[in-house]
Amino acid sequence: MQTPAPSDFETQTNATYDALMWALSRPGMARKLPVAGQASLIAALIDRECAIFSDDVHLMQIAAQAGAQIVAQNDADHLFLSATPDPSILSVLRQGTDIYPEDGATLVMPAVIGHGMALRLTGPGVDGAVSIKIDGIPDAFWTARRDVMRYPMGFDIFIIDQDQIIGIPRSTAIEVL
Amino acid sequence: MAYVATRGGERAIEQSQRLFKAEMGAITPERVAETRRAMPYLVDRVMGEASLYDEDLAALALAQTGGELYETILLLRSWRTTQPRLAVADPVTQEGLFTHRRISAAFKDIPGGQLLGPTLDYAHRILATEVLTGTPHVPTLVTPAPHPAPAQQPSVAAWQAENDLLNLPNPDTTAGNDIPDVTREPLLFPAKRAHTLQSLARAETGGVLALGYAAQRGYGQAHPTVNELRLAEAEINVTHPRGTKFSAGRVKISQAEVVSKKGSQLELGFAATMGWNEVKVIAAATLDLNSAGAPKGSATEEEFYLYHTEGVESSGFCIHFKLPHYVTFQSSLDAMRDAKAKQAEPAE
Amino acid sequence: MSLKSLTKAWEPMSYGFLDASAKREIRRKMLKAIAVPGCQIPYASREVPMARGWGTGGLQISCTLLNPKTTIKVIDQGADDSVNAASIRRFLAGVSGAPTTTDTLKADLIQSRHRIPEEILREDQVLVLQVPNPEPLRPVQPNMSIARQMHADADYGRMWLQLYEQIVRSGRVMQGASYPSLVNGRFVMTPSPIPRWDVPKMHMAKHLTILSAGREKRLHAVPPFTKVEPLVFDDVPYKVEDHGAHVCTRSGAKGYFMNEIPQDDGPSTFEVSDSELGVKSIHRADGEAVQIGETWYKNGEMTE
Repeated sequence: MQTPAPSDFETQTNATYDALMWALSRPGMARKLPVAGQASLIAALIDRECAIFSDDVHLMQIAAQAGAQIVAQNDADHLFLSATPDPSILSVLRQGTDIYPEDGATLVMPAVIGHGMALRLTGPGVDGAVSIKIDGIPDAFWTARRDVMRYPMGFDIFIIDQDQIIGIPRSTAIEVL
Repeated sequence: MAYVATRGGERAIEQSQRLFKAEMGAITPERVAETRRAMPYLVDRVMGEASLYDEDLAALALAQTGGELYETILLLRSWRTTQPRLAVADPVTQEGLFTHRRISAAFKDIPGGQLLGPTLDYAHRILATEVLTGTPHVPTLVTPAPHPAPAQQPSVAAWQAENDLLNLPNPDTTAGNDIPDVTREPLLFPAKRAHTLQSLARAETGGVLALGYAAQRGYGQAHPTVNELRLAEAEINVTHPRGTKFSAGRVKISQAEVVSKKGSQLELGFAATMGWNEVKVIAAATLDLNSAGAPKGSATEEEFYLYHTEGVESSGFCIHFKLPHYVTFQSSLDAMRDAKAKQAEPAE
Repeated sequence: MSLKSLTKAWEPMSYGFLDASAKREIRRKMLKAIAVPGCQIPYASREVPMARGWGTGGLQISCTLLNPKTTIKVIDQGADDSVNAASIRRFLAGVSGAPTTTDTLKADLIQSRHRIPEEILREDQVLVLQVPNPEPLRPVQPNMSIARQMHADADYGRMWLQLYEQIVRSGRVMQGASYPSLVNGRFVMTPSPIPRWDVPKMHMAKHLTILSAGREKRLHAVPPFTKVEPLVFDDVPYKVEDHGAHVCTRSGAKGYFMNEIPQDDGPSTFEVSDSELGVKSIHRADGEAVQIGETWYKNGEMTE
C-alpha cells in the first residue's frame, strides 16, 4: 500500500475543519482559518447532501457548485450570511426536533472580533466563564437567540472575521455585559 | 524491557496473514476469470450483498479471500464506499426488464405465461461423483422453444390491481439525486421506503432467510403466496452531462412479489436485489409483507430485521468478540467481588 | 460539461482512505455532536477496510481528522502493543503518512478502545473512543427508536430503576465498564466500555473526546470543560475499581488501573493497564530520564 499524499484541497479543508471543531469545542476562543472567508467552510462541509441559504451570490454559487440545494432560510441546514441578519430570522431557523436535535441549522456570519460589545459566555467548552468582544451584532440578536431556542433543539453559530473564527454552539449561554 | 515490544504485535499480524494466504497460492487473472465463469451464482450473491455490480471485482474478492464470504463482502463494500457517485440512472421499470425467468404460484397460468427459465427447482440433487473419477460433466445443449417467450412482461401485481384485488402503492416520484441512499445517510426509523428496500437488497442472504423463514413458519402474521418471482436483466440508462441518454450496460436482478389476503384485498410484499438470488428475494419480500404493524421487537419489525440482516455489521460484531476484553472483564470482576464481600459482611 | 468534470482525478486511494464526501459528512455530524454534548448523532458510517466492531467508528473519525503532521497514538485495553491497536496504527499511518507514538504526551490524536490513558490529556489533544454500543438504554430498551424517544423526553426512569434494583439485590451497582453518565445535565451517554476508573477523567476535562460507533452508525462527543456525572444515588456514592493499592509487578507503578494476571500457584499479580505508563515507569526505575506527565490519579485517588 502506497501512502497517498494530501491534495491542496484536502490540506485546506482538513485545516478548516480543525479550526471549526476547536472553535465549537471552546466557545469564545478565536481560532485561525487557513484561508479567510466563508468559502473555505463551504469546501470543508458542504456537498450534495446539504441544503443551504446564502444572501451572497458568490457564496451561493460556490455552494451550488459543491452540489448543495439552494433553499429558503427556514429550510437551510447551513446559512452563509454576508452581514448580521435581522434577529427575527432566528425564529424561523431550523432547530431540529426533540428526537433529532442535530437537524438544527448552522449559521455562519461575519462580525468584528475583539472590539465592541462585551459578552460573557458559559457552558460546555468554557472553563468557568469567558468574556469576549464582538462588534456588529446587536443586543437584540443575542436576546432573540436565547428566547427562541429550547435546548437540546437549537442552532449553532460561527462568527467569522477575516481568518478568525469563533464558535457559539446552542449549549452556550450568553450574557450581554 | 518487561512489556512486549510494539513490533512483536505487528510481526504476529503479518505472519498470521501469510498463513491465511499460504493455502490459496497465487491469485492470478486466470483464477479470477475462472472464478467468475464457474461460480456465477456465488458472484451474483456477492454482488448483491456488496451493492457493487462488477463481476470481475466480485470474482477477485472471492479469490482474494478464498471464499470467506463475510471477508469478500467487506472487501468489496470498503472498496465501493470511496468511489465517487458519477450519475444517477433512470428508474428500472418492471415492464422494461429483459426477463429470463418469471413464475407465479398464485395462478396456474398468468398473462405472458409461466416462464421457467434457468433453475434447479425440479432437478434431482445427485452429486456427480463421476467427475472425480475422470468423467467430465458436460451440460446438454438447450433445445430452444419453437416460439421465444416475450422478453418484457408486466408484473402479476399490476394485473391484480387492474382487477381490483390489490392496491398498488402510490408510485414514488422521487427522482435522481433526491432518492435517499442508505450508503450515504444513516438508516433511521420509521425507515424511508427506499432505505428499507435498499437495505434488504444488500442484506446478508442467510440472515434474511433465517428471519424470513421464521415469519413463514408462523412468527409472522401473513402467510406469503409467491405472486411473482422474476430473474431478469435491467438496462442501466444514464444521462450524459451533454444531455444524451445512453445505456451503461445491463445488470442481472432478481425480484419477488409475495401476497397475502387481508380482508377483501391482497397485501403486497416486495424485494429486489442485484444478481440472481431467489431465496433472498422471497425471504426478503416475506419480511416486507409482514412488516406493517409488526410488534416492536418481533422478527418481522422493520428495525429488528434490517439491523440484524446487515451482513457486514453482524459478522463484524460477531468476530469482534475475539478481541481482548480484559479491561471490561476486570471491571465486572471488581463489582462481583465487592458484592460478594458485602454479602459476607454480617448484617448491621 | 463532460463526464470527466463530474469526477475527480484518479487516485488509487483517497488521502486518509475516506473520500471527501464521507469526510464532509463526518465533519458535519461531529460539529453537531460537539454542540449537543452526549447526544447520539446518526451518521452514514462507511465501510472501511476493517471488520465492524473492530474500531471502524473510531477509525472513521481518525481518518477524517488526521493530516501528515498529526501524531497518532492507538491503544486497545490500555496497551499500544495489542494486535488490534498495532493494526489500526499501521493502517492510520499507512493511509496518511502521519507519525505515530506510544507516548501519551506526544500524541495529538489518541484512538482508544476501552481505556483513557492515566496521564492527564491537554487541551490540544483529541481522544477518539471506539464504541461498540452507543445506547446506554439498550439494557432496558433494546429498540433504538423507542430509546431515542426516551432520550428526547429525558426519560431515564427505567435506567435509574435498574440501578436501584441492583443495589437492592447485590448491595451495590453491578455495572462494570460502560458506566452510564449524564452529560451537561441533559443526555445520558455511555462513556464506551472504559472502566469506572476512567469515567471521572471525562468530567470537566481539558481535552475533546469523540465517541464513535461504526457498526451502530452513531457518534457523540464530550467537549472540554463539560460535566460528566455517573448516575448515582446520593447515599450510594460512585465507586471506581478497587485498584488504588495494587502494585505493578513489572514496573513498580502503584495506584493506577491494573490488569489482573492469574498465577499458577495461587492468587493474582497485577500489571499496570496503561502499557506506556508501565514502560516509562520501568525506564525511570532504571535511572533513565523520562517524562511522565501529571496523572489523573495520585496515590490511587482521583484528584479534583
